[in-house]
Amino acid sequence: MAFKRSNVPGEDIKLAMEMTAKRRQLIDETPAAPLVYEYGVNRLAKALHPGFVKVAIAEKTPCSADCVKIGLRPAAGGGEPAGGVEFPYFRAGQFITLSCRAGDSFLSRPYSIISSPKEALGGMLEIMVQRKGIFSTFLINEASEGTELWMGEPSGDFCHDSIRDRNHILAIAGGSGVTPFLSMMKAIREGSEEFRLTLVYGARTRAHIPFDPEDFRVEGVDMVVVLSEEEAEGYRHGFITADLLKEYIDADTSVFMCGPDAMYRFVQGELKDLGFDPTKIRQERNSVGDRRVSEIKLFRLTVHIRDSVYELDAANNETLITAMERAGIPAVVRCRNGSCGFCHSRVVNGEYFIDSKDDFRRAADKKFNYIHPCSTYPESDMEIDIPIMNP
Amino acid sequence: MDKYDVIVIGAGNGGLGAACRILNEGKSCLVCEKHNIPGGFATSFVRGRFEFEASLHEFNGIGTPEDPGSTRILFEELGVADKIEWIQLKDAYHLISEAEGYDFVMPFGWEAFAKANNQLHPDGEKYVNEFLELCRQIRDAMAYIGETKGKPDPAVMMEKYPDYLACGSYSVNEAFEALGYPKVIVDNLNTYWCYLGADGNSLSFLHYANMIYSYFTKGATIPKYRSHELSLAFEERIHELGGDIWFNSEVVKILTDEEGHVCGVRLKDGREIESRHVIANCSPHVVYGKLMDSEAVPERALKLTNFRKLAGRGFTVFLGISKSAEELGLKDHNYFIYDTADSVKQYESMKTIGNTAAQATVCLNNADPDCSPEGTCIIYMTTLFTDDAWSSVGKEDYFKTKNKVAADMIARFEKATGTNIHDYIEEIAIATPETYARYCGHPQGTVYGYESQYYDGLMNRIQMVEEDRFVPGLRIGGGYGERLLGFPSSYKSGVNEARRTLRDIEKEGR
Repeated sequence: MAFKRSNVPGEDIKLAMEMTAKRRQLIDETPAAPLVYEYGVNRLAKALHPGFVKVAIAEKTPCSADCVKIGLRPAAGGGEPAGGVEFPYFRAGQFITLSCRAGDSFLSRPYSIISSPKEALGGMLEIMVQRKGIFSTFLINEASEGTELWMGEPSGDFCHDSIRDRNHILAIAGGSGVTPFLSMMKAIREGSEEFRLTLVYGARTRAHIPFDPEDFRVEGVDMVVVLSEEEAEGYRHGFITADLLKEYIDADTSVFMCGPDAMYRFVQGELKDLGFDPTKIRQERNSVGDRRVSEIKLFRLTVHIRDSVYELDAANNETLITAMERAGIPAVVRCRNGSCGFCHSRVVNGEYFIDSKDDFRRAADKKFNYIHPCSTYPESDMEIDIPIMNP
Repeated sequence: MDKYDVIVIGAGNGGLGAACRILNEGKSCLVCEKHNIPGGFATSFVRGRFEFEASLHEFNGIGTPEDPGSTRILFEELGVADKIEWIQLKDAYHLISEAEGYDFVMPFGWEAFAKANNQLHPDGEKYVNEFLELCRQIRDAMAYIGETKGKPDPAVMMEKYPDYLACGSYSVNEAFEALGYPKVIVDNLNTYWCYLGADGNSLSFLHYANMIYSYFTKGATIPKYRSHELSLAFEERIHELGGDIWFNSEVVKILTDEEGHVCGVRLKDGREIESRHVIANCSPHVVYGKLMDSEAVPERALKLTNFRKLAGRGFTVFLGISKSAEELGLKDHNYFIYDTADSVKQYESMKTIGNTAAQATVCLNNADPDCSPEGTCIIYMTTLFTDDAWSSVGKEDYFKTKNKVAADMIARFEKATGTNIHDYIEEIAIATPETYARYCGHPQGTVYGYESQYYDGLMNRIQMVEEDRFVPGLRIGGGYGERLLGFPSSYKSGVNEARRTLRDIEKEGR
């Protein structure tokens, strides 16, 4: 076969031979205008995902026996472009991280957002802090109005998805685990979310409820508060049992849970008894804490960040991130539960343990020996290479 | 050490390939990556019990160990081939177009593919054989031009590759018009157009023909552990060779000396690192517009970059399904679902949000049954936007807009394949142009670099590659490079720029 398009002999090849010259000419004719490299898409991506933003504590309000509401405002000198201007827009149910140096340590913790997405546009972002753990204690007791912190951008997937989730969310919460649902209920109230939500909230006594149920008497929201250590009018007493749950489950219900692991185990069992589809249950994951070991051993941990090297002790009952934080190493971390991959790090050598329920690494990470230090415990001396924290 | 022979900006495919090539020659090399993992688009992510492939649908150019493709050979040279486990795909695609009345599966392999065209037209096999012969001549001509380092003997070209020369200037549509095949055959041969993302009036026929030839003669593969496996294989190789990769380390400035020669880079945290040679695995719009002081950018670099056209902006819906592919009735790995077989019309409708006229959808379990837990499957659906429609989406509409487009794509897939998947969606993630812009920084969230245009196609770029560089010590490779977009192309482009950089270093030494 012979390829031919033009009837003029030699024309096809002539055109091909002229391509380069033609291209050169077209480039010559193009203006040498300044290049546009950022568009609306790029600006929105930055606004939604600014990375780290500097914030300051604006107010602290005790809201229950063991919870304090902390209001944050953008601080001068924060990240671009959100710093000093506004908070990144987010989805109801997401969390942020707060980081700062506290004593000799460099600490970083995730906190769920109380505010609705639109509320935060007003310049204040509220988070719930429960009185437990070293960083929360620091925030409640030592940090004051004006204390500056680095805030990691809103993250997480504990949000209603109109495609994945059914239209009615049965939200089951205990303790400060109600926080993402407060954000969702506010979002329903303001109209930025359109699903229905029934909150089943377990607390010890009325004094442990960190919100005012009266705030959420709105269309689309139902609420049941279950007190375990107190009987009171208008409240249920006891535990979140199958009998109670089945009153609120219809054919269009997905279950969202946020609270302690013991609550998850109990409610999972109850939902199983009801024959509820397990793929329609989502639970917010809790931080990976210390593990029980028969004998506490100290290992030598060598940490590479770019061309810097740190040497420290790491105990086999603590995660690598805990060891690094205590040593004051600014180690990147976000979710602290093994799932987000923000602390993805390379193992140069050494043995380690990851509980399979906390192992959300990619298959290739396992093959090539990468870990998430927030869910990894050392089992020998180790050498790891971690990404720099770069606000 | 604060001085490297070469600094690579960006650990995307091009950057990783370039770094390996540099290090293979015993030169020192630092890769600076702004994200916390390597790969750029060649990555994966975990949601619940699913691990989603971020971008790759099928990898062309690997072939088999016995009959290796050009990319396998390249990976062997770079020392990464043994680190990757490949899965060979069975069929090329399942094309469904309700409007055109098309619903057929096409196998890989020249003979099998040609024969399969008999179900479309009585002479289908004959046409396709003729077409693949033409493609072979084009492929051979390109190889010859490469061997002669871009200086082929005109007499040899005229004698051995006359058809290559004759169709050298034409677009896909012009070439098919000249070939005069029946519409159904042309439509079928055009199916892969969306992998290059330029419509048939713009896309260079030589480029397309070369790709088609490679697909149907070498088949396609996927890495067993998603494309993250490729990226980590490269990272491991870079460490083996003594190279460095710094993550969360965005380069904000390429530094030049008084003579205008590259002398280093500055990172976001202010740290400066010396080097006489930089290979940028990012958009020239970003390199010349943002990373360099405007007085250091030659006028012609601005002209060339303004002359380019940004290519397809990505949109993908990732679904973890709580039913197996078998239970759903999905048999194929790779589905193309087109409203029309006319690429120009498809391209036109992809300019706006709201009418997803084309989708390339993968059911990963049909290539790798072990890719998700038993009783589940992974489906991902990709489309392109051929204009900057997403720039006008505001932050308060963003989440709803992406779900609306995703729901439409899911519904279209269900209709075309006669399946119900929406009742079994256990996990969902949606990547929009904003997502691609976020991770890789490309203008408008383009995933395809610069679009193949009539006068900015593959051969034009290759022939003018030296003419298209302007700053001594700086080379740009990857998806925006001379070989255009795609996995194999971006690796090759990075390696080519590394080769040229090594030549620059050698010249300096003399």
